[in-house]
Formats: sequence, structure tokens, C-alpha cells
Amino acid sequence: MNIVVLLKQTPDTESVIRIAPDGQSIVTQDLKWIINPYDEFAVEAALRLKEKHGGTVTIVSWGPQRVVESIRTALAMGADKGVLLDDDTLDGGDSLGVARALAAVVQALQPDIVLCGSRAVDYDLAQRGPMVAELLGWPHLGLAVSLDSDGSSVTIERPIEGGKVTMHASLPALVTMGGSHAVWNPRYASLPGIMKAKKKPLEMKKLGDYGLSAEECGAPAAKIRMVSLEMPPERKPGRIIDDGLDTEGKAAALVKALHEEAKVI
Amino acid sequence: MKLLVDERDLKFVLYEQLNVEDLCKYPLFSEYSKEMFDMALEQAEKLAEQEFYPTNKKGDKEGCRYENGLVKVPECFHQPYRLYCEGGWLAMADDPDVGGQGFPFTVSNACVEFFAAANWALLMYPGLTHGAARLLQKYGTPELQEKYMFKMFSGEWGGTMCLTEAGAGSDVGNLRTRAIPQGDGTYKIEGQKIFISSGMHDLTENIVHMVLARIEGAPKGTKGISIFLVPRFLVDDNGNLVDNDVNCGGIEHKMGIHGSATCVLNFGENGKCLGYLMGEPNKGMRIMFDMMNEARLFVGMQGLAHASTAYLHALQYAKDRVQGTPVEKMKDPGAERVTIINHPDVRRMLMFMKASTEGLRALMHLAAYCLDRERAAETDEERELYQGYVDLLIPICKSMGSDLGFRVCETAVQVYGGYGYTSEYPVEQFLRDCKIASIYEGTNGIQALDLVGRKIAMKRGLLFKNAAKFSAELTAKFKKNYRMHDLVAIYEEAAENLIQVTKFFGLKGMTDEFHVPILYAKPYLDLFGDVTIGLLLLWQAYIADRKLYEIFADNGCKDEKSRQAVVASNRSAAFYAGKIASAKYWMTQVLTQASGKARAIMTGDKSPLEIPEESFALV
Repeated sequence: MNIVVLLKQTPDTESVIRIAPDGQSIVTQDLKWIINPYDEFAVEAALRLKEKHGGTVTIVSWGPQRVVESIRTALAMGADKGVLLDDDTLDGGDSLGVARALAAVVQALQPDIVLCGSRAVDYDLAQRGPMVAELLGWPHLGLAVSLDSDGSSVTIERPIEGGKVTMHASLPALVTMGGSHAVWNPRYASLPGIMKAKKKPLEMKKLGDYGLSAEECGAPAAKIRMVSLEMPPERKPGRIIDDGLDTEGKAAALVKALHEEAKVI
Repeated sequence: MKLLVDERDLKFVLYEQLNVEDLCKYPLFSEYSKEMFDMALEQAEKLAEQEFYPTNKKGDKEGCRYENGLVKVPECFHQPYRLYCEGGWLAMADDPDVGGQGFPFTVSNACVEFFAAANWALLMYPGLTHGAARLLQKYGTPELQEKYMFKMFSGEWGGTMCLTEAGAGSDVGNLRTRAIPQGDGTYKIEGQKIFISSGMHDLTENIVHMVLARIEGAPKGTKGISIFLVPRFLVDDNGNLVDNDVNCGGIEHKMGIHGSATCVLNFGENGKCLGYLMGEPNKGMRIMFDMMNEARLFVGMQGLAHASTAYLHALQYAKDRVQGTPVEKMKDPGAERVTIINHPDVRRMLMFMKASTEGLRALMHLAAYCLDRERAAETDEERELYQGYVDLLIPICKSMGSDLGFRVCETAVQVYGGYGYTSEYPVEQFLRDCKIASIYEGTNGIQALDLVGRKIAMKRGLLFKNAAKFSAELTAKFKKNYRMHDLVAIYEEAAENLIQVTKFFGLKGMTDEFHVPILYAKPYLDLFGDVTIGLLLLWQAYIADRKLYEIFADNGCKDEKSRQAVVASNRSAAFYAGKIASAKYWMTQVLTQASGKARAIMTGDKSPLEIPEESFALV
């Protein structure tokens, strides 16, 4: 089975995020970068498919050279090869521009199935998967918490309020991963895996290699523009009701505050 | 916030201070790259955080259980142990020929910091296995290696070091375990060992013990000690496991590291315990010494790791916990309450913890780096130089790591206040777990004797001279930066104090007052440690100062105010400013005491020796 995983590198969720002086981006200096956790679920699901059906797992990513470490980590987990679209002209593109570029890469690889996270933990737009599927004209199965395939079709489960829904599609198809770390439990890269990863092929590509340019994928094509970023308001400190009241008085003051100020009762 | 290891500082030591990636120039490490080091560090951190740390408290509460001669480790240890072994972490820096991953030891040691900080009690099991496997690799016959060693390096089987007996702890020469030759090259082993870490447990199906024993008729004392491989189950010629009469008589109930099984082991209770000699007869002590460097560094790592996580926990708590008013508004009862990190005394404690932890980190990884350079050396001269550094550094790593690490844990409890003393918060466990590090693997008193009695005297003081030269070369470089002058001056005075005490010991050692260097060996080691950490922190400040001023220049800073603004907004600048602050703290608050410490030793006061035993207390 020829499996492709679309993988994005995102800042570590534990990183301290600061807004850059332009007000439209974040300070990337000194950030720690990781594989988007939802994409890591996709790597795990891809490796399980490979274990069952054989074949290859190709990691497709985009971004600057620092992304190489994330691709190598996925290779160390057990994926077979990587493609990195390192093209400055993608900067300033929106989700659709990136999706166009990724769809072109996928088309060239002709996989049976494409897996990726349902969302990325950076901008949380949740658009990449459905867009790539749409551009390829493939079925899109979203938010999978389980995945099974007989080699010619794919079945996933997806939670819905109060239950779950099972979906089925013939291949080729694109599946985005939902669930959590506990659901997918992605494997750790082993040291032998890290040793092997450095010898696995990793291709560097430009948009031009796929007959694309900034006009289709970069800033000129962007339909969405980031206007500004703001930090969430700082949490206000708690209040202790005391005012020299006795217990009954404090309880009354609390009820009053909950009713009139917080408006929760 | 990640609370195990300050990864930025760890990488500073590896890549900005030691330039570990340059090791890849040596044929031994030519297969490796910085990218691989980073990937390994990241995976180690992940595994430590997600699998080791969640079992730390549980392991402490549950402890080990002794039932019918068998020992059960905390149930939750099984999964992280399995993942650790599957990932190849146990033999990260070992030869690929034995199933190792061949990484530089420095990188492996850096990974150990994550695992050790996350759950030391758990790391003890693979740690001891590794030591025993290395011994087998170096001194075992190919047959024994084939049967036992590979399964040890993979973690499938465990390993231990069995030295201590009821009457032979620090006085190992007094041991009574007997080895009776069977005429076929094997020996019957009979005796009891105590305090054996990982001596019996259910993480692995077999455990291979390295046992110190005296061959019948061998000389008394350390000169008659040999070392034997004694598996719990022998592998017979068909590959079956056969019971070898090694039984666990019980486990200790300890102050800390409850998840680590400390066992009484009875060898040959039924006269059926077989052992294989490692190396030559009566060379057991020499073999142990040969294996000791890495084991002692490992214990130093325990101290560093506990300090690291205790510091980060205390820092987080100090930033969260609101209590008290700013010192300027002390007299105003209505003043706003602030987080305790705003209080000068708390700041002082945090600064002590920061500087100590960073100093220990540099110390441990420098020792590991010297071990790599020794291994990779291309000339005998180079090898001897680095071997000398290692020999000198090891007792300091072990003793400073454990003592200073413990002080940092203790200070963390203090920062937490009353809550720190409760089991609701994790720092009291770090304190309890850390304490043993100053005791096992040669007490810190023994480390001091090793330094004074062996290392300083070795090769007519050559090791010390080389270290002094290393220090002088570095400080000459530091002095080229005028901003370093004040700190270098304090360091140089302290280093001179150390040299004076060393000479003083040399002279006393040749007279009938040779008790004095023995009596004050430990304070001497402490002084040596203070100065060594001082040099390392100064070195870091020198690097940080240059990088910080590069950032200032990039940002067009012209005055103090603009520099402060950059430190406040630029994380790299904040980090480098913090490194300089650590060095300042250590020089001004620790090394200024060096002259007093030196003076105390050089009084040569013998009252601890001369005071009659009865005069200690009338009880």
C-alpha cells in the first residue's frame, strides 16, 4: 500500500508564544518545533497500515530546513521516505495555496491513501485535509479515531455527540485524524530508528518541480489575509469573600456575587 | 512548563560550551550528526516526560514488595522499562557489535539527565544492568558473552554489582563470600550480600550478578578479591534456564527510591551456586576500579537530575504562589499580595539552585565529554591527558553531584514552605530519593580519600598540574574580555587557595602529620568542587557575554536601558543574561568563601582526632 502522510511542523505546545512586532505573526526565534501532534497520529496510523498491508509510507511536508528534523523523526518512527517542499514563495500563501501545493505533491506520488491531522496546533484552521481531498477529487473522511483498510477501501470511526459514526470509502481517499494521544498512542522513535532514518531518502522540492508558482500557491493567490494577532486577556485573580462576615453572611455574599456578577445562578 | 530538565541549558553545555558536534570528526563517531543528537535528545525527553515521570510518585507510594523470595517492582514500572529497552536507550553509547547504538557518551549522558530526573528509582534497573554488561564485555570469555551479555545490553535480562556484605561496606577488603574452585574452571559461590540494588525483581526473567568473592586460600584484604559472574539462572548447553541457587532473603525499607529493590542475596544456600571468574584471580578490585568511573558519574548524574527537576519545580511554584507584600510596602497591611518570587530571600534561594544546577550540569557533561575524548583519542598522549581529567573529575562529580544536588532539593522544599514538607507536592520525594547518592557507590568520604590519596598523588601530581594548566589557559582567554575581569579575579584567588591547600597536603603527607590530609579530605574535595564549578560557570559566562553583546549589537543597543529592554523581550538574550547571573552568584557568594575554607583546612587542627571518645558526649 502506498501511503502518504501530510506532516506539518508546529511550535511545541509548551512553548511561550509571543506576537512579533508586526502584530500579524509570532516570534519564531528560540521556539521549539515539533511534529503537529495530530499529524503524529497520522504517522502512527500510516505505520500500522504498512505493518498490515506492506508498502511504503512517504512523509510530505513544507517549510524551511528546520522541518527536516521533524521529517527525520517520522522516518525514525518507521516511515520510508520524505519530501520537503522548501520554497520561500509559499510564504504569505493561505491554506488553499498550501493545499494546492500539497495536492500536486500527492498527485505525483499517486498514493492509495493520504493521512493527515484534522487540525494543526498552531493556527487551528482545520482546512488542509478537506482542501487537499477536494483538489484531488477524492473522498475525505474526517476526524478518525480508528482506521481500517482491506487494501481497496477504508473504514473509519468518528465520534459524534453521544455516539460514533462509521464511514466507509473506496480508495484512493484522504483521512484526517481526530482523537487524542491516548487514542492513537504514537510510537516513540527508537535509537536504531534514528540511525536508520539518516539513510532514508529525503527529497527537497520547489513549487516549480510541480509546475506551480507563487501565482497559484503564494501570497498573490491568497484569499485570506492575517489581519492581527492578540494574546488572550490575562486571567483576573480570584476574589476571597471575607469583609469580616460570618459564615452565613459569606454564603449570602457568594450567592449574590454568583447571581449578579458572574450570572451563573 | 517542562519541569524535568532545562533543555536550553543542556544544549548550551553540549553545543555552545563543549561543541559536542565536533566529536563527529573522529572516525569513532563519523556516522553521527548534530541532527541525530537533537532527535535523540527530543525522544529521550518525550519518553521521560510521558512514560517515566508519571510513574515516579506511584512508584514511591507503592514501593517494591517481597513475597515468597521474589520481589515485585511497582506495577507501573513495567511499561516504561519495556519502552526504554525497546528504544535502545540502555546501550546508547555502546559498541554496535554488542547491540549498542554507538552514540558519543556525552549525548547518552545528556539523555540520562531526562530519564534520571523523571524517575531515578526506575532508571536504577537498566543502569546497573549496563554496568554489569560492560564488565562482562571487557572481562568475560566469548562463551559467557554469547550466553549472557547480549541479552543484558538489550535489557531483556538484568544485571547487578554485588560488593557489600554485612561486615564489608566501605571496608570491602573484609568480605567473606567464598569461591571454591571446582577443577573445571568454574567456582562454587557461598556467601551473603546485602544492599544489592536490583538484586531481585520481576522486570526481567533472569538477572546476572557480578559478585566479589575470595577464592579459597587467597590473601586477606583487597588483594585477595576476585570477581565472578553469577547468574540467577544458568544457561545450559541447550539454552534452557536452570536455577543457580541465588536467593533473595528480603528487601530494605528505605528513606527514598522506594521503587528500586534493595536486596539481601544469599548465594549457594544449598551448595549449588555456580560462578565464573571474570578476568584473573585476585584482580577483582582492579577490575572494579576500572568499571567505577562510569558508575560514579552515573550517581553524580542522579544528584544533577534531582537538582534539575527540584529547581524547575520550585521556580514554577515561586512564580505561582502568592504570599506577602512587596518589601517596599512591608508596613502597609493593605498592600497588594505578590508571588513569592518577588521576595529577596526566595530569589536568593532560586539563584543558589540555578547556579548549582547549571554548574553540576556542566561538570557532569564535561566528565562524559572527557571520556569520549579518551576513547576517540588519536595519540597516546591525548588519551592520557583526557584519562587524567576523567580520573580527577570523577570523585568530584560523584561527591559534588550528590551533596550539592541534595542541597538544591532541600532548598526546593524551603521555597515551597510548609507545603514542600507534605507529600502533596513532589519536592519532598526528590529530597528523599536524592539522599542515597552521597552514600552508595563509595560514600563521599571515600570519594575524598580517592581524590586526596590516589588522584592527586598519581603520576607525581601530574593530573592536578594538567588541570591547573587547563584552568590557566581558559582564564587567560576570559581576561581578554574586560567585563569578565572582576569575576576572573575572584576565581583566580579561589584557585590559588586550592593550589595552596594541595601543596599543604603534599607537605603534611610526607610528615608524621599525614592524618591531616585524611581528616580534611572531604572539605578539600568540596573546595575542589567549588573551584571546578566556578571555572565552568565562568567559562559559560564568557561564552554567554559574547553572544549577549552580539544580540545587543544586532538590536542597536547603545545604553543600559535599551539592553534591558532586549533582555526583557528576547528569549536568547534572557537566557544569556541568566548565564552571566549564575556565574556572578557563584563567584561572589561561593568562591569568596574559598579563602576561609582553605584557611580552615590549613589550620591543620587535629581536635577531631585528639578529643577523647568519652568527651563527645556524656551519655
